[in-house]
This record gives sequence, C-alpha cells and structure tokens, in this order.
Amino acid sequence: MLLLDYQNVLIESLLKDRFAPGATPTSIDQVVSDFDNVTFHISTPESKTKILVSLAIKCYPELAKYGAEEVLQREYGSLIVQPENGYDFSVQVDLEQLPSSDEEKTELIRKISLLKRNAMAAPFEQAFDEFASLQEQARQYTSESAPQGVREGGTVRAIHYREEEAIYIKASHDRVTVIFSTIFREETDRVYGKVFLQEFVDARKRGVQNAPQVLARDDPPLELQGIPGLKGGKGAEGGVTYVTFVLFPRHLTPQRRAEVISHIQTFRDYFHYHIKASKAYIHSRMRRRTADFLQVLRRARPEAEEKERKTASGRTFTVKS
Amino acid sequence: MAAPEVHHLFHAPIADHSFSSDRSTLAVARDNNVELYKRSGNAFRLQDELRGHDKTITGVDIAPRSGRIVTSSQDRNAYVWEPSKNGEWKPTLVLLRINRAATCVRWCPSENKFAVGSGARIIAVCYFEEENDWWVSKHLKKPLRSTVTSVAWHPNSVLLAAGSTDGHARVFSSFIKGTDERPEPSAWGERLPFNTVCGEYLNPTAGWVHDVAFSPSGDALAFCAHDSSVTIVYPSAPEQPPQAVISVSTQLLPFTSLLWSSETELVCAGYDCGVYRFSGSSDGWQLTGTLEKDTSQSRPGMEQREESALNMFRSMDLKGRSGAGVDDTKLKTVHQNSINTLRAYDESGGQVAKISTGGVDGRVVVWNL
Amino acid sequence: MSQSLRPYLSCVRSTLTAALSLSNFASQAAERHNVPEIEAASSPELLLNPLTVSRNAEERVLVEPSVNSVRVSIRIKQADEIEHILVHKFTRFLTQRAEAFFILRRKAVPGYDISFLITNLHTEEMLKHKLVDFIIEFMEEVDKEISEMKLFLNARARFVAESFLTPFD
Repeated sequence: MLLLDYQNVLIESLLKDRFAPGATPTSIDQVVSDFDNVTFHISTPESKTKILVSLAIKCYPELAKYGAEEVLQREYGSLIVQPENGYDFSVQVDLEQLPSSDEEKTELIRKISLLKRNAMAAPFEQAFDEFASLQEQARQYTSESAPQGVREGGTVRAIHYREEEAIYIKASHDRVTVIFSTIFREETDRVYGKVFLQEFVDARKRGVQNAPQVLARDDPPLELQGIPGLKGGKGAEGGVTYVTFVLFPRHLTPQRRAEVISHIQTFRDYFHYHIKASKAYIHSRMRRRTADFLQVLRRARPEAEEKERKTASGRTFTVKS
Repeated sequence: MAAPEVHHLFHAPIADHSFSSDRSTLAVARDNNVELYKRSGNAFRLQDELRGHDKTITGVDIAPRSGRIVTSSQDRNAYVWEPSKNGEWKPTLVLLRINRAATCVRWCPSENKFAVGSGARIIAVCYFEEENDWWVSKHLKKPLRSTVTSVAWHPNSVLLAAGSTDGHARVFSSFIKGTDERPEPSAWGERLPFNTVCGEYLNPTAGWVHDVAFSPSGDALAFCAHDSSVTIVYPSAPEQPPQAVISVSTQLLPFTSLLWSSETELVCAGYDCGVYRFSGSSDGWQLTGTLEKDTSQSRPGMEQREESALNMFRSMDLKGRSGAGVDDTKLKTVHQNSINTLRAYDESGGQVAKISTGGVDGRVVVWNL
Repeated sequence: MSQSLRPYLSCVRSTLTAALSLSNFASQAAERHNVPEIEAASSPELLLNPLTVSRNAEERVLVEPSVNSVRVSIRIKQADEIEHILVHKFTRFLTQRAEAFFILRRKAVPGYDISFLITNLHTEEMLKHKLVDFIIEFMEEVDKEISEMKLFLNARARFVAESFLTPFD
C-alpha cells in the first residue's frame, strides 16, 4: 500500500456487507475514525434498515463558508437528513429503498465512503471555478496591463483542518496554488521530512515533468502575505514547514479536477505516513545491527565457559565422570 | 625442548601463584581466596581453600623451608597461614598498619621476614615478635610517591627492591635489629640501617615499574616498566653512580614480571601473553627469543574444544558464525591472556632450568628453559 | 575498504592493543576501593597520555588509557544533517542497551558520538584481542550502516515522491 485510499475503507466494507443481497438488517452503532481527526458515526437509530452515517470534522464552519453545503447537497441530495447531535453532517440510507442494479449500489457505497473527501473538496472546487473565471478575464488583458506578481488573483482560502496545520488555496489566472502547512514534532521527523520534500521538489526534473511544481520552505510563502496567525519564519521554532503545490491549467480541466482534488487532499497524511514508516524501518534495522554487534562482542568471551550447566530452577549439576 | 606443561585451572585471573618447595602443592590467588592444588599424576587437583580475605588477593608466597603461606589482599590485610595439627590451615593476621590495598608480598630468603607492598606508598616489612606472639611491621616510606607494585629480596635478606607506579625502582635496606644478622658490605652499601635508600632508578619515560628482581648473586638489579622496556642496573660502590644502567626497549607489549634465570640471562613475560628471553652482561643486553614454539602445529597439552551440534547452534546464534569454521578466537601463544607472574620452578646453584607462569586466563604453565 | 580507511583502522588497532595492557589496581585515593582510574582521575601518575587518531576533520578516535581502564571515544563521520540524525539515533539506540554491551559507556565523552569504557575486569573476562576486533569492526560497520540507511532513506523518498506525483502527470 503505497498511496492512500480516498474513501473510508471501513464505511465502504460495512455498507457493502449490508447492501449484499440476502443480508439481514442488523442494528449498527460504530464510531469510525479517519485521518485529520475526522470522526464518523454509523448507526441505526430508528430501525435496522435505516443506516445513518454522520461526519464530524473540525473545520466544518470554514468548509461551509467555502460552499461545502452546496457540494454535499449536489453529491448526496435526498439522502441528507438533519445532522445528528454532535456531528456536522448526516446522511441516511434506507436498505428497503436501495437501487436495484449492482452498479448503482456500488456507486452509492462509494459516494458515502467519500464523505470526508467531498466535504473537504468544496474550497478546492471554488478555487478551481475561480481560476476558470480569472482565466477568462485574463484573456481581455494585454500582457502589459495584466496584474503582476503574487498579489494578483483571488483570495486565499484557509482550511484549519488540524490543530496546528492548515491548507491554503489560492486561485489566479494561470494556476491554483495549494499550500500545506505542516508541523514536525521531532527533529528526526523534520530531517526525514526534508529528505522527502527534496525528492518532491526534484521529481519534476526527472521524469514526472507534468506534475505540479512543488516548493518547500520553513517560512510562510509570499502567497500567504497578510494572513494572520502564521507560524515559522526566520529563527522561529516549532518545526513548521510550508509545502506549496502549484497546479497548472492542465490539472484543472473539468475532466481531471475530481481526481486531482481527491489526490491532493491525501498529501499531508501520505507524507507523514511514509516518514513514520521509514522511521520504523530504520529502527528495526538498527535493532538488527545491534544484535550483530552483540554477536561480535560475544566472540571475545573464551570458549568452553559452559562447563557448569544450570537447571531451570537455577541449581547447578555437575557431570559425573 | 620439551613442550610446556599446561594446567588450566579455571576461568579467572591468577593474580599470583606459588609452588611449595617439593613442587607438589600449588597455591593460586583466585578472587578473594587462595586455592591450594595438589599434584596427582600430571594434573593438579583442588585440595584446600584459604578463606579470610574479603577483597581480591594480590599476592601469595609459600616459604620454601617452613611451608608457611603469606597472602596479601586489596582489603589492606596480610595473613600468615600455618598448617595446624588436624591438617587445616590457620591464619594469623599481620599488623600491616596500612590504609590502602596491599599489592604484593614476598618472603625473604631467610624466611624470618616478608615484605608487603601497598597502595598507601608504604612497604611494610614484617617480622615475628616472639614476646607478643605477633607478626608486626616496620614501614619503609621515603621516598615512595605512589603505589608499590612489586617487591623483591636480595639474597642477603636485608636489601629489598621495590617497583612503583611513580616510575622508580628502588633498593632499600630492611635491616631489623634482633632479627637480622649484620650483612656483608656490598656494592649496594656498607652500613645499612633501616630505610637506607641504596639505589633509586627512574624509568626513562617514567612508566610504571611492574616488577623488579635481583640477580642470583645480588649484584645486579633488573626491572621492567610499562614502556615495554627492561632495565638492568649494575651498581659500582656505595654512594656512587652505578657502573652501568642498560635499558632494552622492545616492540612488544609491556612486561609484568621478570626473573633471572642465571647471572647473564633474564626471562620476562607480560601483556604479550608470551615468555621472552634476554641475555647480556654489564656490557649490554638484548632480546634473544621466545619460549613459544613454532605456532603452526597444534600443541599437545592444549585441551580440545568439544564440538557438538548444541555448541554449533549456540555459536551460530550467539556469535553469528558456525562453530566448525576457522576459529580465530584462540591466540597462538600458550597463555590466552596476559601473564601476571613468573616463578622459578627448578633451580640449582643460581641456574634456573624450569619456570612457571600464571596468567589472567586461569592457566599455570611450567616451561623448560 | 578505501585507501585511507585501512591505515586509520590499523593505527587504531595497535593503539588499542597497547592501551589494553591493564592491571587490577586498587585505588590509592580511597580506602578499599577499586575504581576505573580514567574516570576517577584521582592520581595523575596513573593516567597515560590521551591519544587522538584522526582520519580527517570529521572522523577520529580518542584513546584515554590508565592503569586499570581505558576510555575509547569515537567520532563517527557525519557529512550532513541526515547522517547526523542517523548517527545520533543509532548511538542512542546502542547506549540504551549499554548493559548488554558491557564495555559501552552510558554517555559519550563531549565531542564524540560514542564512548567505550574498558576496565581490567573486561580484559580479564574477555580476550583482549577480540575486544580490539570488536571495536574495529564496530567502526567499520557503523560507517557502512549509516551510509546504507541514508541511501535507503533517499531511495524511499524518491519513490514515494514520484508515486505521489505520477497521478498528476
């Protein structure tokens, strides 16, 4: 498993079981955690046939500001119910009113398991739309009169989706910039992260030419000028790193945008997941190497030391000659 | 030359060892106890243990004629052990009056005194006081500036040589009125009251002096130091500079013990695990060879390591290699670790024919010269 | 083995072999004590001159001998931040297992990454020349291990980055 899934696998498999032909409805009450402190609650509060899936996400008010409700309305339509107490958004499926064909069922499962992705997608969609209109406007400018520099373009959309980390999205007439701010708790993570980010930055030079441009820096990029509450910068501590993805028009076409939005959302978790995995591997390597060193050291002990043997209880017995 | 006789007693350092005069009893210092081994056939069997010290024993010496054993230990004490009527060994505490470790002990040739070196910058010269039924001591203090590592007696039982970690080898008088007879005047001195310093020789690099020894005649002194050298001193006359001081430097690891096998030959051993010979006179000295035989062939007398499936798997697991492969664990020398002491084993008329060595590897080896 | 490594290691080997000439030596400063003199440092005449063997500005070994103990400290090559953190993690990992390693000092001497403290008890219990072998092998392997870990990290990072960016292509 190299890339992370976009959907929540647990919801997917649970619904698949329930939707299977011949499955008897049972009562469910499960809380499911996802990345970025997102919590799902899957339950059957009214009857065994009505499955309620609720989503709690820290930055829901921000997402709503950037049009999350419209996106969710579009995706889930009639499934939406009043949000469950303590959650931000709920959908309900009635097992007695499932679509008949298998494809439609699979599509429904997929849709519900992508709840988090869809909620988070709203600001991206807005930004992509804004890009389209800015691009349209830009056609009217001559090259001299075009607005210059980073001040051009629309507003920055900030999503504070974790305690100290955020995603910033900014559209302009020729690109959409997505900036992840991320924190390294340990020095080791920071150094490993640096190695990884360097490879992200260099990837375009080797082979993956059409990928978004990636930039990494420790102080806030110019795109975020004037945004309050940013950490990092010269001499600042806390291990903040800003990772900028520059999405070019080719990534923003209507045919590709769904996939691009899904994929870029997983960046932060993918990145940290691989740092942790590398740490674990290196740790196990050190363990093995330490065992090797111990073997070498044991060679220094003289042989035939084992004349005296001990029983399990610690008593020694002597060999009678 | 006959092969050396190897006795592997245990897996622990032998700080010092001593044979009885008939060579049937072997006393070895093992941790806090002295173990007495009795010869039976070609081997030595553990016979008795002298328990009493509560810290590492640093020296053990059996008086050749009386059979009394003296021991010294890092617990600051020395004991004289005598066999009682029921065959047990009875210890008598010696009043050393030192407050640091005792580092070495040797009976003087006349056996009425012994000297104990110590970490308190003192050599305790001990003798028996009949009226009090005590072993008491007189202290040689000046000019010792550090731990005394070794003591050695002149044949006249009055002169005492001592090596120290201050880099000096010294010759003292340990004359005790009422115990000793007035010695003949010699090149070392004529009148010799207690604590007369008859000679003081500094190792050129101020390396720790590990061992000192008088030649069989008593007219020369040799000492070995931590700079891997052996120095031989020929005194000329009392209060005069010596007629010759010859230092032989070697490329070997330092020697910890030396022994005159004759008036013109020295045997040294130490951290290199082997025994080396030097020969010369007041005109000059040189390293002449080793007692180790050519190493390519297997040596008789070395125990064969038992090779079982269990050992093989154990070796693979613990040491990461199969037991059957080339084993480079063994040194090519007979002793597998540093040699601590050299002793004369067979001597007649100032000519030593056999010597014994005791090492950190728990072996006592008897060598033919 | 590179050209400069061989003389470096053989120099360390002969220095260590000589330094491991230790004896059971009781303290002359404290009554009934027997402590590593190199740590106690209570009698200057019992300490020998410390010796540094340097391969280059980055890699060196400090050997501090005394009458009954030797302290051997190793500065491991660390060319960049990654090597630095790997060395730091690895030596910490080892030091936490100091008990199993007998001769490992729990704290490295300042300016070095890892220190060993070998006392006369160790040279009595174990074979001197094998202890030297161990330290030499340790020095060889540690360099190798650090550079292998670094290569691994770079390779993995490259693979991970390309895998993530390829779907955009």
